[in-house]
Amino acid sequence: MNGISLSQSIPLKPRSAFRAKTSSRKSSATICARLEDSQQQQLNLSVLRFTLGIPGLDESYLPRWIGYGLGSLLLLNHFVDSGSTSITPAQFTTEILGLSLASASIALPYLGKFLKGAQPAYQKAQPDGAEQIFVMSPSLAGIQKEDLAWASYVLLRNTNAIAVLISIQGAICARGYWNIPEENSSKESLLGWFQEKVEKVGLFDLKDTLYFPQEADSEFQEFLPKGACSLLVQPLLQVPSQTANGPQNPEGFILLASTMTYAFTMKDRAWIAAVADKFRDMDKLANL
Amino acid sequence: MRQLILNINDFQFIFSLKAEKAKGRFIRLLPAFGNAKLMTSMEAGSLLKCRFLTSTSFRPAAKSSSFPSLPPIFSFHFGVSSSSSSSSHSPITNSKPNYRVPKPKRDWIADWVSQNDDTVRTLPIYIGAASLLVVLFNRALYGIAPVADASSSQSRADLLTVALAVTNVLTGLVWLSIRPKSIATVDPQGVECKRVCSPLPDYAVTELLWVWESLSDVTRCRSLVIVYENVCVLQIGCAAEASSRKGEAVNVDADKLMRGTLYQGVIKSGAQSYLANLSLYPGKSELPFLPSNTQAVILQPLGDKGIAIIGGDTIRGFTTSDQAWITLIGEKLDSTLAKHARQLQLTSQDSI
Repeated sequence: MNGISLSQSIPLKPRSAFRAKTSSRKSSATICARLEDSQQQQLNLSVLRFTLGIPGLDESYLPRWIGYGLGSLLLLNHFVDSGSTSITPAQFTTEILGLSLASASIALPYLGKFLKGAQPAYQKAQPDGAEQIFVMSPSLAGIQKEDLAWASYVLLRNTNAIAVLISIQGAICARGYWNIPEENSSKESLLGWFQEKVEKVGLFDLKDTLYFPQEADSEFQEFLPKGACSLLVQPLLQVPSQTANGPQNPEGFILLASTMTYAFTMKDRAWIAAVADKFRDMDKLANL
Repeated sequence: MRQLILNINDFQFIFSLKAEKAKGRFIRLLPAFGNAKLMTSMEAGSLLKCRFLTSTSFRPAAKSSSFPSLPPIFSFHFGVSSSSSSSSHSPITNSKPNYRVPKPKRDWIADWVSQNDDTVRTLPIYIGAASLLVVLFNRALYGIAPVADASSSQSRADLLTVALAVTNVLTGLVWLSIRPKSIATVDPQGVECKRVCSPLPDYAVTELLWVWESLSDVTRCRSLVIVYENVCVLQIGCAAEASSRKGEAVNVDADKLMRGTLYQGVIKSGAQSYLANLSLYPGKSELPFLPSNTQAVILQPLGDKGIAIIGGDTIRGFTTSDQAWITLIGEKLDSTLAKHARQLQLTSQDSI
């Protein structure tokens, strides 16, 4: 709320105590600006926010385009002028400052991505040449299948992931967009293909969360969907039933891939870890 | 407060990679790991400490697509070998080789921005304002007339620089305008309780407790009540203290709750209801089992037979992401509890 208000000036004290201002006008407007503590009242800066109304255009990248444009004009001004006369020190100083500001403007959208409350500039995109699959190992019990189906669905639905692979106690659940070789069209061959890729990458005894926000390492590129930028691997840890707070054994992982960079926020990672906790007691469900 | 901590203590691994002869490159890396604590924002509800391993400056010189392939003898090892005795050693089966996967590198810029949010938001303003002063000072220092002349290259350069400075200032102001407002949390006044409906099988109880752990760890949830088939299947977290029984929580009158307008409205709409500032809602009186100073409540229908009531300690403390997750968790709970509806109905009849 803008802290500018109009109020009539009213003499607050008797004339004997204070000299009240008198004016020929019957009422005088007093404009006072109050900037209170930011927690209670903030400057109304939302008037600065705008949209050009062009679908698909992200205005948060405007400083970058302005930086490129005006920086180019600065360079053009420099080279056009340097042909005729020598550059003065004042102009040189200004040009250096201008190019620095242009660089800062270009970098601003990148920094803005990591601020609290920042929204992703674009949505996840379907990778080229990928097909949507949903396979699960047949060795899983009914309730285990239900839990895995729900977990994979909710991870694809509520995060920016386009592909999810859950491996637990040797069983596999894969869902989403994957680039599957044509010869692996049957369910059994698909599961075998995933198993082979997991063994090749070597995701065993995983205890740490791995998060590649921009580009997954080459070992993963072989089986991730084409165009996958972000990769998150969340370990599944099981506590032995004998000791409730005992050491946790790695029993598998949840792998999430996305075509967006920095796809998984801290909140997303917290929820993914919570979903991973659901499979703590997976072995108990095997007998149901 | 339960904490999700991935206990990764000191890690050391020697990561050696020998390229093929044709590539002629040998890279040996001895990384020193520094653990980075990742703290959630206030909205996350509690401390979620994820220690991400960091790597040193190892980076393949070429793009990942031209990463040298390894002869079989040299393989990536992945496994945890902790030097601290406090973490467990996972049993490595003899059938699988001990592989290691390269760890993601630490994103210094992202960490720095996240940790200095307020400073970063105001930085462009200071940069832009300082640049404007420098432009004026520059003109004054060299005795250039303060006139914008399009034929003068100096003036053109100054104008472009001023425009860039203004761009930075405006960006900083926009960043300030979108800064999330921090709202203080309010400690709920009540007693801790944990009541679970006994006829439910173990796996259903486990799922209910998992829901509570997830909500309390990731969101601002401090109280959770689940009512299904006229039975209170779960009351956990902070609850209002019963006036007649000191130290005990107020019982949930499932019948009364299900006859009330809040429940009826939610079931009729079939959609989640988010009371972001509970003090403004007169229907608050239908939730006497929640602490009196509960700040926000989410009412999540469980099909058409139940409801989950999630109480939070912050006004507008549940984010849209939380709401989406709670909706889908509600569907899962409905699916699980529906399998035992008969048992719950019998429990409900016994209690009448």
